[in-house]
Amino acid sequence: MDWTRTETSNWALLKRLLALGWLYKARCLGVVALQTLFMAVGVGGLALTGLAVDVIRFRHTPEEIAWPRLLPPPGDAYRLRVVAYLALGILGVAAVRAALNYTAVISSARLVQDIVIHLRSKLYRKLQELSFRFYDHHQSGSIINRVTADVQMVRMFVDGVVVQGLILLVSLALYLAYMLRINPLLTLACLAPAPLMWIITMIYARFVKPAMLEARARYDEVILTLAESVEAAPQIRGFAREELMQGRFDGDNRRFYDQQRRIFTATSLYSPTIGFLTNTSMMVLIGYGGYLVIRGELALGTGLLVFFGLLSQFTAQVNAISGLVGTVQQSLTAAQRVFEVLDMEVEIKPPERPVPLPHPRGAVEFRGVTFGYQPANPVLHDIGLNVKPGQVVAILGPTGAGKSTLLSLIPRFYDPQQGTVLLDGIDIRRLDLDELRNHIGFVFQESFLFSTTVRSNIAFGHPNATDDQIRWAAEIARANEFIEALPEGYDTVVGERGADLSGGQRQRIAIARALLHNPPVLLMDDPTAAIDPQTESEIHAAMENAMSSRTTFVVTHRLSTLRRADRVVVLERGRITATGTHRELVDQPGLYREIALHQLQEHAGEAPHG
Amino acid sequence: MAERRPRHDAWSLLADGGRIRRDERLERPLDWALCKRLFGLMSAYRLRRNFLFALVFTRSVQLPLLAAIPPLILKGPVAEGDVPGLLLAVGGMGLLALLTQATMFFRVRLAHELGEAVVRDLRGAVYAKLMILPMSFYDATKVGRVISRMTSDSENIKAGVQDVLFVAIVQLGQMLVAAGIMFWFDPVLFLAVIGMAPILYLINRTFRKKLSRTHRIIQESFSRVTSTLAESVSGIRITQGFSRQRINADLFHNLVEDHSEFNMDASRVSGTFMPLLELNNQLFTAILILFGGWRAWHGYTSIENVVGFLFLLGVFFGPVAHMGTLYTRLIMSLAGAERVFRLLDLPVPHPDDELPAGLGKIRGEVEFDDVTFAYHEGNPVLHEVSFRAEPGQLVALVGHTGSGKSSIINLITKFHTPTRGTVRIDGRDIMAIRGTELHRQMGLVLQVNFLFTGTVMDNIRFGRPEATDEEVRQVLDHLGCRDVLEVLPEGLATRVGERGGTISLGQRQLICIARAMLADPRIMILDEATSSVDTLTEIRIQHALQKLLRGRTSFVVAHRLSTIREADQVLVLDQGRIVERGVHAELLAHAGVYARLYHQFTRAGEAEGGGD
Repeated sequence: MDWTRTETSNWALLKRLLALGWLYKARCLGVVALQTLFMAVGVGGLALTGLAVDVIRFRHTPEEIAWPRLLPPPGDAYRLRVVAYLALGILGVAAVRAALNYTAVISSARLVQDIVIHLRSKLYRKLQELSFRFYDHHQSGSIINRVTADVQMVRMFVDGVVVQGLILLVSLALYLAYMLRINPLLTLACLAPAPLMWIITMIYARFVKPAMLEARARYDEVILTLAESVEAAPQIRGFAREELMQGRFDGDNRRFYDQQRRIFTATSLYSPTIGFLTNTSMMVLIGYGGYLVIRGELALGTGLLVFFGLLSQFTAQVNAISGLVGTVQQSLTAAQRVFEVLDMEVEIKPPERPVPLPHPRGAVEFRGVTFGYQPANPVLHDIGLNVKPGQVVAILGPTGAGKSTLLSLIPRFYDPQQGTVLLDGIDIRRLDLDELRNHIGFVFQESFLFSTTVRSNIAFGHPNATDDQIRWAAEIARANEFIEALPEGYDTVVGERGADLSGGQRQRIAIARALLHNPPVLLMDDPTAAIDPQTESEIHAAMENAMSSRTTFVVTHRLSTLRRADRVVVLERGRITATGTHRELVDQPGLYREIALHQLQEHAGEAPHG
Repeated sequence: MAERRPRHDAWSLLADGGRIRRDERLERPLDWALCKRLFGLMSAYRLRRNFLFALVFTRSVQLPLLAAIPPLILKGPVAEGDVPGLLLAVGGMGLLALLTQATMFFRVRLAHELGEAVVRDLRGAVYAKLMILPMSFYDATKVGRVISRMTSDSENIKAGVQDVLFVAIVQLGQMLVAAGIMFWFDPVLFLAVIGMAPILYLINRTFRKKLSRTHRIIQESFSRVTSTLAESVSGIRITQGFSRQRINADLFHNLVEDHSEFNMDASRVSGTFMPLLELNNQLFTAILILFGGWRAWHGYTSIENVVGFLFLLGVFFGPVAHMGTLYTRLIMSLAGAERVFRLLDLPVPHPDDELPAGLGKIRGEVEFDDVTFAYHEGNPVLHEVSFRAEPGQLVALVGHTGSGKSSIINLITKFHTPTRGTVRIDGRDIMAIRGTELHRQMGLVLQVNFLFTGTVMDNIRFGRPEATDEEVRQVLDHLGCRDVLEVLPEGLATRVGERGGTISLGQRQLICIARAMLADPRIMILDEATSSVDTLTEIRIQHALQKLLRGRTSFVVAHRLSTIREADQVLVLDQGRIVERGVHAELLAHAGVYARLYHQFTRAGEAEGGGD
């Protein structure tokens, strides 16, 4: 990939991420302030502990105590009482610290959640509006990930990078300043291993990240083989390929294991190395610090002990930096995926001043329509078709001829590149999008039902529909009878995890859903395609019912429907090659005749009346 | 225990405010038998395991010693002003540090290897089990569930093996040694400190419990978010077609807000307990300062001892806080192990290896003798079915959904075994024939044309893995459909997506037919696809099928009239019984169930016939 381009786009992304943080600037700063205060108070507690140690020690080896300048040094007799006060002070500081901690945790969590809610809702809203083209090009797993994991990574940039980075800077400065104040030379000596630690961590991260990605890929293969094996259990069993598959799985499993071992080797080297460097810091502190204590140049409590506390905090923070750098990278990748959706243009734009059309009669016209999913590669060429209100138009043609595409132009799922589609003589691009779609009912090849009740599924487009309206639609779709026979009638839950319905039953619910508001135009995209022949006849009655008294476009190969249609349109390679009634077409040579004859052969071979 | 999932999905949950159940698992007592079995998984790696134990014990002494050295130095050379002694001691500390880290290196490495090796073996064992489990298992099990045995459950087991036990030993040992050192410093002060330990433990425990509860709720709520998203994506056409975008967006907003609120709950729990734990730590410090200070003041102990306590406090109390996490992890890993073991322990009713080998080449005669079969006891789906297919015959199975057609197929393939009666192949009871040997002479083309990830060539070769490319091409030529597959972007080398994405329905059917043809089976099972492909492809498919079935005993769940008309024997099934049998013409003349079915099938054709 072009390196410079990635760089600049990374900058653009960074800017946008920062802008996102800017929206919450006051609260971010609030969190930073709280955390800083929290740490400062912690350092105060540490100092009090050190002071107490020194006060006690003074009893045995009197020497200078780093007594706070504001307070007069206490007399010897009061010293023990002073220790008690200091202990109380430590507790008091701890209580304040606890309260601060709680507030900081809560306000930071609230900030995080608000960003998440904001991003998720915005994404989802956008997803709902995006045209099908987006869905054609993205797998559902990737879309779900964008709304879930990627959003988390994006908000991590705000609370994990920006806020945490500020806190890190402030705290490092704070600890460093205090350590330097205690003893500059000791500070430098103890911090000597810190840069080394940082470098090692970076090297480790650089090695481990690709290694982990590789492991992840191998793991995915293990899972893929497994999933396929479960799904294809009859095939594996039926062809006696158990050993072959076991061999394949064992291979995948071993490759994953080998990769994991490579990572362990790195990990098992990394953590002891870091551990040893930490130990080294400690050794320097004890060795050099102890020497200073012996020389009387460093107090045991306020000097050495406090320094010990500061040093461990400081090291912890330095280690956190590498995590932060990793987060930036991850946030950028996630941001790209999130912003891609947010920036995606909604192709189907509603008109600014729509022409009202509350009660169309249902005349549909295609006027010179050319359309391709990629403009350079048209699927439909110069389609002209004029359908009168109430007519039934049957469309047939080979797979890929453009039948479904033709239907999807009527409710404006896509807009044609050339030509216009008109409803009652009005360009549909001038109609309100919701209104247009409300006038059109449709049934797809595979009936998708949501995981909710039959009632809610039928009322999907019109949640306020009355029970009577729902029942009316179900009756036309010949679905009322079987729905009432379900365990909980209209309240039975269907869909992916619901009741077992046959394909025919699902399709009839889908027909009822399409008819609920008695639309003047009905589109049916081969509703029996995925249905076994036994249940097909059930749907047919429903389809017949549905077609009467409305303009209907139906994609079908069934002779009975073709014969019933007022007009048959034969579509081949995106062009209308023939149009007319069944009787007209069956007498001409061509695709229609071929298909019709094949069906006659198939069905009428020894039919009683044949 | 089965995985618990909310029965309804978000769309309905939002409407009826479904509750989220809590996990009771964490409150259950430890199952020692399960622990033992989990531990037993390591016995294949005895040497590594024992070495690891040795390392872990070493570490549990090294860690507290390392922490005790600084206070000892303070107490010794520093208090006495002995500079050479100080240098010597620091040198000693360096040596110990080096040793400790070396132990660490081997411990980390061995523990990871052990854990990974154990789950690798488990995954292999689970897969091997999947290969021999009866087909009834697959009827009742979702893919996702099996996958989670391999993923999350295995991960939990791994964590259990590589962390829980060994880390617990290190932690306990480090606590004990630290306690010993502190006791040696000052027994009285130590007793005062240890008196506080139960409080810390209690706070921790309540905290863990609360936290794991909120986390469980978060998980469930998250799965609602994802399943709603998944539905929204699959149902986008419906949503936009019915202009429901805004309603959905509002519902989803509520859902996300709820989910965030659950997350806030978790934050509140940690926000309360984390500071409380910290406060508690400070309490220890305060007590040390107060009580230890008083003792040092009066000369009962030295101030260096008090400082030593401050150093060791973390080493001693760290594990207390850690134990809770370890326990949760142990429980999770036991739960995972329980589910995996349950799968591994599933009985295999008629294992192949108990049957005699050596079936030899079969002629392909299939006989059902008074066969009754039930998937679930007491609910038979086939009643006293008897028929006989001569070698090379084409048998069509006809009947409504649920009439028993697939059950007959399942018995011929030995995917299931008869409840009563006998199925015979070449006169031999199928119960005495190894399933794998039978399957080698059997071919399947099922309704769902499953393609594996890989090339088209790989998929066809699945029927006979040792076949050469040339043989595969010959089969395609023989079926007369080579051109249909060679028009694919990269011909036979075209890769098939996860669900056969780039390949059309008709092409997929042809691949499956070629696959069966390549296997050159004696018995052919065909469940005709119902999804319609365009008529031209359909003609090619029928042509290929005729080639495939010729000369083999074939059982076809028939949806195409052309197949039924050609059958040597049509078995008409109704509610698990053969109600009519014969050839097409006879049956039609008989004007019974078959004739009625036929008319239902061909309503269009009939209308056409009557109309013209």
